[in-house]
Amino acid sequence: MTEIIVSAKTKLADIIMQDKRALVLFPRFGIELGVGNRSVKQECINKGIDTDFFLLMVNVFLNKNYFPGGKLKKLDVDMLLRYLENSHQYYLEEKIPYLEQLIEEFKKRVDHPATKQLERFFMQYITEVKEHLAYEDQTAFPYVAALSEQVKSSKADISDIDYHIGVFEERHDNIEEKLSDLKALLIQHFPPHNDRYIRIRLLNELMDFEEDLINHARIEDKVLIPIVEQLEKKIG
Amino acid sequence: MSETLLIAEQSEIIRKGLFQITHDLNVFSSIKELACPSGIKDVIIRYKPSMLIVNPSFINAQGLSELKELTNGEMPVIAIVYALFDDDYIGLFDDVVMVGDTRQKIRKKITELLNKTLEKDNRKPEDALSSRELDVLKLLVRGNSNKEISDKLFISTHTVISHRKNITQKLNIKSVAGLTVYAILNQIISMDDVS
Ligand SMILES: [Fe+2]
Repeated sequence: MTEIIVSAKTKLADIIMQDKRALVLFPRFGIELGVGNRSVKQECINKGIDTDFFLLMVNVFLNKNYFPGGKLKKLDVDMLLRYLENSHQYYLEEKIPYLEQLIEEFKKRVDHPATKQLERFFMQYITEVKEHLAYEDQTAFPYVAALSEQVKSSKADISDIDYHIGVFEERHDNIEEKLSDLKALLIQHFPPHNDRYIRIRLLNELMDFEEDLINHARIEDKVLIPIVEQLEKKIG
Repeated sequence: MSETLLIAEQSEIIRKGLFQITHDLNVFSSIKELACPSGIKDVIIRYKPSMLIVNPSFINAQGLSELKELTNGEMPVIAIVYALFDDDYIGLFDDVVMVGDTRQKIRKKITELLNKTLEKDNRKPEDALSSRELDVLKLLVRGNSNKEISDKLFISTHTVISHRKNITQKLNIKSVAGLTVYAILNQIISMDDVS
């Protein structure tokens, strides 16, 4: 896939045509399909989205090697948090239920004792993902919001929160490891069992989820964490 | 993929008959014929056939083992039998085709033999788990720690870790939960052993 760098003049339709990952990304900003010929700038004005923020997020999400650099300083933390919460909601309400449904279908189709164990393994994986998302929604994000509030107004007090964003970074690895194992089991180890199409659909969806999570983690690592570190420094 | 078949048989009727039957199989991209025993070795070196169908009188037990050696045991050899031969000698071939065999029967023999050979290829020893690795895997998926495995198998934890690394490399699976699925799938343990 050729990576595209999106600018304010780029048409929304062109972004999606060239990189299907934009399909799941746009709804997180409240942008729905039916984009006509509108450019990024136009749509951002229509929807009240900060254009610089939109460009930063889209480029980090779509390009592995894009470094936001100096653009981070101006970024609105609340907007970033809202975006991240929207992504989590998409995983919880759309992706995970669909994956669960596909595993259920696979189990029905493949009558083998190992399938039950695969389902257990999968549910373990899903529980871990949910715990991770809940941890961020309930602990990490409120902390960042309070931090940003304090810097803005010097009213909120976080001195009694015993927490530091450094803890945040180590938590993505386990989840990726389990997903890779699930893939290997379905690609290499389960013998064919009259399950061709359901297995392809399941793998397709797993790999899609995997990629989305990796891009999501990249935004947290390259955008959220540096911002929070700056905020932490300001407070001292 | 280019699969070559060599048919070595003096009777033209039989040779052409086999040619027709194997040609219709669509598995060989090329079929070579040899009408007399001389030069069989050279032909095999030159075309590296993936299968040989041969009249047993073209060679003898020693010649057969030479041909096997020449091809690293990767070329199955089928005997065409329509005369009397010593059973012990015929037993050395990978399979036997009789002149009275039906087309279906001959095809079945050929495809089965070819599949068996290809499977052997895929299952390179470096991909299969060693018996020690299997021991480690069994204990691991039953919930034993590295230390417990090392005590039970009388090996150092360092060795346990190195076995685990090899298992992961061969199977492409890292987590214990994932390895458990693999173990049940391959009947290394049963469902009752986990839960
Ligand atoms: Fe997250």
